[in-house]
Amino acid sequence: MPKLEPMTPTSIHVIAFGMIAEKIKTKELVLEYMPDTEVLLGYLYQQFPDLKQTKFSIALNKKMVVGKTFIPVGAEVALLPPFSGG
Amino acid sequence: METKRSPKNIFVQGQISPESIAKSIANHSTKTDIGGHSIFLGQVRADEKEGGKVTAIEYTAYEEMALEKAFEIREAVFAKYPLSCMHIYHSLGEVKVGEICLFVFTSSKHRKAAIDACEELVERIKKEVPVWGKELIDNEGSVWKENL
Repeated sequence: MPKLEPMTPTSIHVIAFGMIAEKIKTKELVLEYMPDTEVLLGYLYQQFPDLKQTKFSIALNKKMVVGKTFIPVGAEVALLPPFSGG
Repeated sequence: METKRSPKNIFVQGQISPESIAKSIANHSTKTDIGGHSIFLGQVRADEKEGGKVTAIEYTAYEEMALEKAFEIREAVFAKYPLSCMHIYHSLGEVKVGEICLFVFTSSKHRKAAIDACEELVERIKKEVPVWGKELIDNEGSVWKENL
């Protein structure tokens, strides 16, 4: 299980929705700072192997990002499964 | 005259009631420059799934991002078509089969702009706004939906 640590100036706040929140069994993670989304994905896949079979996108501070993207300090990182509104 | 618009809440807890839709239509009777309205209503369907029939959809959203995205779509569609009015409502929480979960309403001087804008809004909302529907099945299971 990942450690849920108090927020520090260099931590990143990860929130998960829908099927992703179910697979990782939490809606929220506070992680030590990671420089980019590739490192973050590596960490998530290692912690939650189930995610490898799951399609999802990443939003940084509420904007969708594609490919390896720098994570600003203090960013809100969201893990978003395919949308199914309407 | 230019009015500055800001993000407004599109979310409604539970179903969008037919009464609120009727009221929304009635609210436009004083806007006499409008010549055509276009309305899209999304309704929860009782699909057959493995293990049973859908009884309801439970909606969740990344609300802050959804409101920002809805605002961005709204501004883009307002800029593209000569509209008098635009309203978007989406349900959160549980909506039973047969109930309305999405209400998109556009008005313009002539029909074409209202119809085209309404269609574009519905397509963009389903594709770009972070909302998730979980279909609840009558055997107490559930399936996450995915928009195509």
